[in-house]
Amino acid sequence: MNCESAKGQLIDLLSNQVSVTERAILEAHLTNCPDCQAELEATRQLWGMMGNVPVPEPGEKVRTRFYAMLESVQIEEAKKRRRSWKSILRRMKRLLTPELAVRVAYSLALVLIGLAGGYWLSAQKAPVYEEQISALDTQVKEMRQTVLLSLLENQSATERLRAVEYTKDIEHADEQVVEALLSTLNNDSNVNVRLVTLEALAELAADPKVREGLVHSIVKQDSPLVQSALADVMVKLQEKRSVKPFRELLRQEGINDFVKVKIEQSIKDLT
Amino acid sequence: MLQVKDGNLEKMGLLFERYHRALFGFLYHMTGQSDASEDLVQNVFYRMLKYRHTFTGEGEFRTWMYHLARNVLADHVRKNKHSVHHYDVADFVERIGGGTTADEQMQKEQELASLHDALRKMSPDNREILILSRFQELKYEEIARILDTTEGAVKVRVHRAMTELKRVFLKA
Repeated sequence: MNCESAKGQLIDLLSNQVSVTERAILEAHLTNCPDCQAELEATRQLWGMMGNVPVPEPGEKVRTRFYAMLESVQIEEAKKRRRSWKSILRRMKRLLTPELAVRVAYSLALVLIGLAGGYWLSAQKAPVYEEQISALDTQVKEMRQTVLLSLLENQSATERLRAVEYTKDIEHADEQVVEALLSTLNNDSNVNVRLVTLEALAELAADPKVREGLVHSIVKQDSPLVQSALADVMVKLQEKRSVKPFRELLRQEGINDFVKVKIEQSIKDLT
Repeated sequence: MLQVKDGNLEKMGLLFERYHRALFGFLYHMTGQSDASEDLVQNVFYRMLKYRHTFTGEGEFRTWMYHLARNVLADHVRKNKHSVHHYDVADFVERIGGGTTADEQMQKEQELASLHDALRKMSPDNREILILSRFQELKYEEIARILDTTEGAVKVRVHRAMTELKRVFLKA
């Protein structure tokens, strides 16, 4: 290493920007060269002094001004964002020349044709969907019935009440449901359940089986509430077949006086 | 800075707190004027916000900051070409708060003041490279990126600038 390249690297050494090998070579030269050593010392002194040149602190107003500027830029940006929507609309209006309008109309027409085509194609397939949907519908109905039947056998009177409420949603109750309801009307231990069941059955009275079941049920009821409710239903349905069981009921002992009067009135209404 | 670019302007505050001192130092050494440097700091941060879309995130934020600072400085120099700024050693001594202490202390301060004066008398290019490497303590590699040149060229220029400073300083 010659002195010239050594002197060129003195600052690299002072600012710690030499590799390990470069440093080794440089230091080897320095130990043998008093001239370069002196140069290094002088440079080191100046370099060190430069590090001591004080820099005044920036005043506090720099910070205040910066944050004020930041805030104003933020406000401006927010305004610009709001404005940009308006300018987009304005620009679009300006762009809409007659020529372009024709083009847009043409594209829209194409899109509409596409839509109509798609609709036609899907209409072709519709029967398949309809079939699937009706199959699903049947399945749902069946499931509801199953749930309902199992609920009717529930221990809790509340659950049984709910089950009876469900039957009101069924448009065409099948034989199984009617049977289950009639059996509930005749055998359920809870008066409320029996009353609600009667109500549900009255709505299904178009079915001759239901009417028949109701007539048969008259003599099986011991609760005055259900008896009088049945009398009301029979009058409403104008079911003449009920006269005979009502008379039978009147002959029974321990019948409630109020119910007695009511039944006598009902018989009168029916005959 | 990338977050600032994406519209999170709040984050600019963090960058300000981290870098404004170093930036002020650079500008102060370059201009020798404290008040003007404060204005220029404001200017640089304003440009950061305004031109934030030009920050690619490839280089370091610091490099980009010095790029902007050099542009702002160039504008400042162009504008003030005709107003001669007279730099006074006594003003500097006063600024660093000396002048009334012991002789030795005073001599040191005088030395620092004349060094500062020597820096002011150097050619602006050489002064800049010394400020970047010595006062801002940037590595050659980073300086090369700021000045758009090679590391080798920076090395040579630092050496040359140091030689000039020595000459000017010893003459004083």
